[in-house]
Amino acid sequence: MATAVHLDGITKRFPGVVANDDVDLAVRRGTVHALLGENGAGKTTLMNVLYGLYEPTDGQVYVGGEPRRFDSPRDAIDAGVGMIHQHFMLVDPMTVTENVTLGNEPRKWLGLTVDEERARREVVDLRDRYGFDVDPDARIEEVGVGVQQRVEILKALYRGAEVLILDEPTAVLTPQEVDDLFAVFEELTAQGKTIIFITHKLGEAMHAADEITVLRDGRNVGTVPADEVTREELAEMMVGREVLRTVEKPPADRGERVLAVDGVSVDDDRGVEAVSDVSFSVRAGEVFGIAGVDGNGQSELIEAVTGLRDPTAGRIVYRGEDVTDWSRRRRIEARMSYVPEDRHERGLVMDFDLTQNGILGSQHSDEFACDGRLDWDAARDHAETIIEEYDVRPPNRRAAAASFSGGNQQKFIVGREFERDPALVVATHPTRGVDIGSTEFIHDRLLALRSSGVAVLLVSSNLEEVRGLSDRLAVVHDGEIMDVVDPESATEEEIGLLMAGEDPSDGSGPVAAGATNEGGR
Amino acid sequence: MSNAVASRAGLSTRRLAGLALGAAVALFVLAGVAMPDSTPGKVLRVAFTKSALAATLRLSVPIAFAALGGIFAEKSGVINIGLEGLLIISAFVAVYAADVGGSVWLGLLVGVLASTLLAGLFAVVCIEFRADQIIAGLAVWLIALGLAPFASQAIYGGPNTESLEGSFGTITVPVLSEIPFFGALFDANPVVYLMFAAVGLSWYALNRTSFGRWVVASGENPKALDTAGVNVTRVRYAAVLLSGVLAGFGGAALSLSLGQFIGNGATMVNGKGFIAIVAYLFGNYNPVGALLSTFLFAGLDALQIRLQAAAIIAVPQSLVRTIPYVAVIVVLALFGRTRIPEAAGDHYESGED
Ligand SMILES: Nc1ncnc2c1ncn2[C@@H]1O[C@H](COP(=O)(O)OP(=O)(O)OP(=O)(O)O)[C@@H](O)[C@H]1O
Ligand SMILES: [Mg+2]
Repeated sequence: MATAVHLDGITKRFPGVVANDDVDLAVRRGTVHALLGENGAGKTTLMNVLYGLYEPTDGQVYVGGEPRRFDSPRDAIDAGVGMIHQHFMLVDPMTVTENVTLGNEPRKWLGLTVDEERARREVVDLRDRYGFDVDPDARIEEVGVGVQQRVEILKALYRGAEVLILDEPTAVLTPQEVDDLFAVFEELTAQGKTIIFITHKLGEAMHAADEITVLRDGRNVGTVPADEVTREELAEMMVGREVLRTVEKPPADRGERVLAVDGVSVDDDRGVEAVSDVSFSVRAGEVFGIAGVDGNGQSELIEAVTGLRDPTAGRIVYRGEDVTDWSRRRRIEARMSYVPEDRHERGLVMDFDLTQNGILGSQHSDEFACDGRLDWDAARDHAETIIEEYDVRPPNRRAAAASFSGGNQQKFIVGREFERDPALVVATHPTRGVDIGSTEFIHDRLLALRSSGVAVLLVSSNLEEVRGLSDRLAVVHDGEIMDVVDPESATEEEIGLLMAGEDPSDGSGPVAAGATNEGGR
Repeated sequence: MSNAVASRAGLSTRRLAGLALGAAVALFVLAGVAMPDSTPGKVLRVAFTKSALAATLRLSVPIAFAALGGIFAEKSGVINIGLEGLLIISAFVAVYAADVGGSVWLGLLVGVLASTLLAGLFAVVCIEFRADQIIAGLAVWLIALGLAPFASQAIYGGPNTESLEGSFGTITVPVLSEIPFFGALFDANPVVYLMFAAVGLSWYALNRTSFGRWVVASGENPKALDTAGVNVTRVRYAAVLLSGVLAGFGGAALSLSLGQFIGNGATMVNGKGFIAIVAYLFGNYNPVGALLSTFLFAGLDALQIRLQAAAIIAVPQSLVRTIPYVAVIVVLALFGRTRIPEAAGDHYESGED
């Protein structure tokens, strides 16, 4: 079969880093190609080169057998290359149709006016051809991430993309949505399109791809057929050593109740009730997990617990005190740590370097501030500690957070929050976008905190993760806790049904009675 | 998101205060209609005259044009706080050009050109050199505030220019102009009609053309536009230059209608550029909304002048003069539900930095 994309000896240098080092990559037309590698391995950079966002320092890009030089994404688009980024590039207040056609609007009346009817018709045709479930008139801000992703794919197809690049497309999706996405992949390749996608999940790569390429430290360490490789082999290629142990979790040694959420209701930004009368508690030395499809009130609930959003009803009790009206600062000072869901929005100031980011939230503490001045030496040492301990790999020590690879940003945030000497850790999607080695590491740290008597409230849409780590698992649907289950005895199907809002049993089900009682009050 | 919390908590009091204000206004109007000889009655009689409407339209022209300009710039992501300066410079240059060239229409053209040039300078400083938009905007204002009276001093020997011979005249529609009150709409300076046309065209450009889409995308998520293959820098330049063109019409129309440029103190522009910013914010970046809020302020200004003249209310004149400005603050505090473009004020550089 013909080669759709051929990258020949691509090197990309940033000041102080070689992000891609003489990478060769060939992808056959009509196939799915997965790109694996640790955080900072250079996956995103390589794809940005192919998409014309970065100019390679050295090397040649071939698309459809012809040598190409892309000065901008426009050139790449014209050559039939489309890319769907880690962070979606959509205009929130615009509709699906407007977003899909942005920059390529069909015109009428001497090109003076957008031909909206034709735009809509074309989007509907495209949607129907690939069997997508998307409303062309919905506004982006009103639809979920799964739909937004399909809009991004439509956008690329609308521009005539033959090659689609997706950067960690499954990171934000629920298991069901991931299956849908892979079905879309099949539909697309059946119609001759070529797909390259980046992932951290070995299972996904092996399941959805025809071939897998592994990058390590900017280099291509090998391309293998997906059906002839094992997880262990892939993991070793990525990390250079053996990984993939199953997490060893000693039985929980529960202490006093650290957090009690009591009949809490919370509104979302639009003033609609997102959390309805939720109660649960978390004890010292245990991990309380919250599983659910994204957007079922988890974000609002966590914001209420951490003090970023006022609940409309109910009480939040933390270490025996009613903290419902406490400010964020007071909660931080009371040793409540928070790994936020959106690392760009909440976790880091992208223009700050690591020293500055490292003391976010601690800027008032005696450790870093005296007499109203910041002790930068202490702050620098603190950042160094996090970098060492959590294996953060910055391009250089002074670099702004924005120039970090996604996984390294996440590791730094996790490090900062875990190093606060917390009594309670509230962690939302703590390993989103983090490679397997580091995921394992973060899981270990989380369990170490648990062993040392810290209470952990964990939210994740990754079912495997919450099940593996939690001692008790609450499944939420539509702002309510459907049930609190024992993650070891409950099956994936049962949890899945609860996530969908259905009660899997009448009485003698997976529900661990003790767990329910504990969760109730 | 703590500000979301604050705004939500403030909503109910705000809504209450808004309702109270609405009720007070309604009561005032009712009282005026019911008792023509009461103070409210007299105020209404002064307000709803043809001449008051004519004055409102006249006062609206510079504000509305500047507001339209502000919409394009800010929607594209560049906050143009220098509208005031653009009005001043075009007001002066237009009179000078009309004086030298002997035609108000030539004056209008050259005035627009001058404002566009200054806006171009602003664009280069903000987009090319990544200066802070607010500071650069203030600089535009200060430059114009110094330059225009200075030039007038040099040319005419005083901060005020001489009066022009020619004028735009008026366009009068027979019959329709006879209608009470609304007749003023059909017996107006051509620049008033230009204003209406500009509002319509701006609305069309923003909502129906590709350029409008790009402007919105450039202000909301420039990266999305960039990756869609549209040059964000170019869109922003175009939008800022367009704001210069529109503000230029406003400033030139202001001085040419009067036949003179007045450069004393805050000049004849006297804060209209800043009111324009409020007008488009209040109008939620919609040209029609901006026009309506312009009418509100200009109408209150026209009323204020008449109230002073008629001395109906026993309040010091200097207080009466503040009515439009107080209204601005009240309106913003009570009804400001503006959705500011996500990326407004941010620099954008495509690709690697
Ligand atoms: N704009 C930039 N300026 C400087 N260095 C950069 C820039 N973008 C990426 N880098 C560096 O290049 C290297 C590769 O980054 P890249 O984002 O390609 O990694 P990745 O494989 O996508 O990682 P992740 O899985 O964490 O997303 C990293 O060391 C990163 O810090
Ligand atoms: Mg990446």
